[in-house]
Amino acid sequence: MTANSITTPRALSQEERRAMLSVRQLMWLRFRRNRLAIAGCAILAVMYLTMLLAGFVAPYSVTTTHERYVSAAPTQLHLVDADGRLQWPPFVYGITSKTDPHTFRKIYTPNPQEVYPIRFFGRGETYHLLGPLQTDIHLYIVDDPGKIFLMGTDRNGRDLFSRIIWGSRISLTVGLVGVLLSLTIGAFLGTVSGYFGGAIDMVVQRAIEVISNIPQIPLWLALAAAVPSNWDPVKVYFGIAVVLSLVTWGGLARQVRGIVLGLRDSDFVIAARYTNCSTFRILSRHLLPNTFSHVLVIATLAIPGMILGETALSFLGLGIRPPLTSWGVLLNEAQQVRVLLQQPWSLIPALFVLATVVSFNFVGDGLRDAADPFSGE
Amino acid sequence: MLEYIFRRLLISIPLLFVIAIIGFITMELPQGDYVTRYIAQLEASGQSGARERGAELRRVYRLDDPAYARFVTWISRFVRGDFGDSFYYQKPVKTLISQRLPLTLALTIPCFLISWAIGISLGIFSATHQYSLADNVLTVVAFLGLGLPAFLVALVLIVATWQITGDVYTGLFSAQYANAPWSLVKVADLAKHLVIPVGAVVFSGMAWVMRVMRGNLLDELRVNYVQATRAKGVPERVVIWKHAVRNAFHPLVMALGGVLAWLLSGTAIVEQVIGLPTLGPLFIQATMEQDVYLSGTILILLSSLLVFGNLLADIGLALLDPRIRYD
Repeated sequence: MTANSITTPRALSQEERRAMLSVRQLMWLRFRRNRLAIAGCAILAVMYLTMLLAGFVAPYSVTTTHERYVSAAPTQLHLVDADGRLQWPPFVYGITSKTDPHTFRKIYTPNPQEVYPIRFFGRGETYHLLGPLQTDIHLYIVDDPGKIFLMGTDRNGRDLFSRIIWGSRISLTVGLVGVLLSLTIGAFLGTVSGYFGGAIDMVVQRAIEVISNIPQIPLWLALAAAVPSNWDPVKVYFGIAVVLSLVTWGGLARQVRGIVLGLRDSDFVIAARYTNCSTFRILSRHLLPNTFSHVLVIATLAIPGMILGETALSFLGLGIRPPLTSWGVLLNEAQQVRVLLQQPWSLIPALFVLATVVSFNFVGDGLRDAADPFSGE
Repeated sequence: MLEYIFRRLLISIPLLFVIAIIGFITMELPQGDYVTRYIAQLEASGQSGARERGAELRRVYRLDDPAYARFVTWISRFVRGDFGDSFYYQKPVKTLISQRLPLTLALTIPCFLISWAIGISLGIFSATHQYSLADNVLTVVAFLGLGLPAFLVALVLIVATWQITGDVYTGLFSAQYANAPWSLVKVADLAKHLVIPVGAVVFSGMAWVMRVMRGNLLDELRVNYVQATRAKGVPERVVIWKHAVRNAFHPLVMALGGVLAWLLSGTAIVEQVIGLPTLGPLFIQATMEQDVYLSGTILILLSSLLVFGNLLADIGLALLDPRIRYD
């Protein structure tokens, strides 16, 4: 009679447990279920980490030229040596260059006599890792005079893989900066215009209408052409980010306005108004946090467009320009058909653009489903 | 409805005026102007009389007038149908545009029709066979199309055809047909050269249409009326084609508003890569060279088409869905 009188808590059913979860936990559950979104997150994490540690991952610096290996094809990695034995670490052969007597083009052939094993965490050129820390340890390197060009070299004999890694510093961030600017303008104008309505709404709406009635790509081109060619690199970078955001803030503002318009007359806002909250407090404490999840979705889905925009502009020579390096700048070399056919590997940066854009799309789609955890099932 | 259309047309006049101002400011933003650089080039090549020629050009084009005065002259001529001359080609802008318009449309109209036809049918197929193997394959294809801009697809296709056939397909004709009189062989040669640009543009366009169509149809198929029609015993074919698909069309009809402008400029970078004598490369070159009358005219032409296209799209939406009213 004693021990049995205390009823042991019965196990909660799946539904009951679910009902106890907070909205944030529900969102996380929903997001985690989307495998593509998780894969996108993983790819982006690797890419951004690589970007931060660019000097470590890239075997050479962005400007290092190997004059004797101009337009060389990607170096082949070997695991099996001449005697058929498995080797670890993998090794590369030395490259001998010959000039074709007819076309005067260099021909590179691997020379099995020279063997250079890859040295992981070996010492090479010195670089700055994460700011002040100076080091010369690279993820992989081969000893001089061996060379390793995983993705070939360009017309100046610079290692394409190293340049792609270094170039990601611009390609992966210019979209973020652009979206941040675009969001600041868009969220501010959208909130104000949705909440106050009337004359302010009228003016903002007309402004958005004007922007959205100018075709995007031509406006991008025209504005990018206005970035002076004698600006220093940092200014050009931010100039391009501003150009990207100036063209796209309208769409973001319109979506934020729609959300705010839907929330403006909801009970909690009216309650806040009756308790004498200031307008600023209502906007900043009650409305903006409620738009946050939607704004995050809109922003994530806007990043790929910006990355593609930067790539297209730089490809045409109107965006980021040398000495800065971005994926678009690297692809610019492939614009000449002769170069493209001689070194098809110059299209490899496109794969990095593809992976980034697709990953952002996956993550954005996952976030969109997660932002509304009560819909469908 | 008529009143609505009239009102929209009336609003579009000040809208286009503001766009013209923005366009003009954008054209004015780059430092220097075409004539200054042209004269510098002449001087560098050691030609005599460069300075006099420059002064004359500056006077003819009124380059030393204040910006607003030039805007007023430009816009008042523009309204009367005089778009000015191109600096670079030394020809009227009107002639240049009308020369390149036929080929541009001959390229973009088939691109548009093919990509939308394929995109819509594959989108419907994908949505009605959700999570099947075919749907998953199509989804991967669509994401490839969304992640690779058309100009990169074109570059990949150039390399691929070169590796397979050994021929490089850029420009409009092979060298031996460029100046030859028209014949069947020449037409075949032209068709061969258009495969790459059309293929690249169709691939990216199709991907987008497919994703939009699939998403909307899936949303639509979840709505209760679909279940109700099925319960009534309406055949599945009718449920999908007559009820769900029609309602899923809305966002695509909205997007149709941009198609008029897209037909002239949407494939610009692909045309540039392939080296086609169309409007896109003309505009890109004009922006780079600060050929302001040419680029300004094209920008305003495109904007007018966008404004007009959006109006048409709104009317089309009202026709498609009688619930939509504009009062």
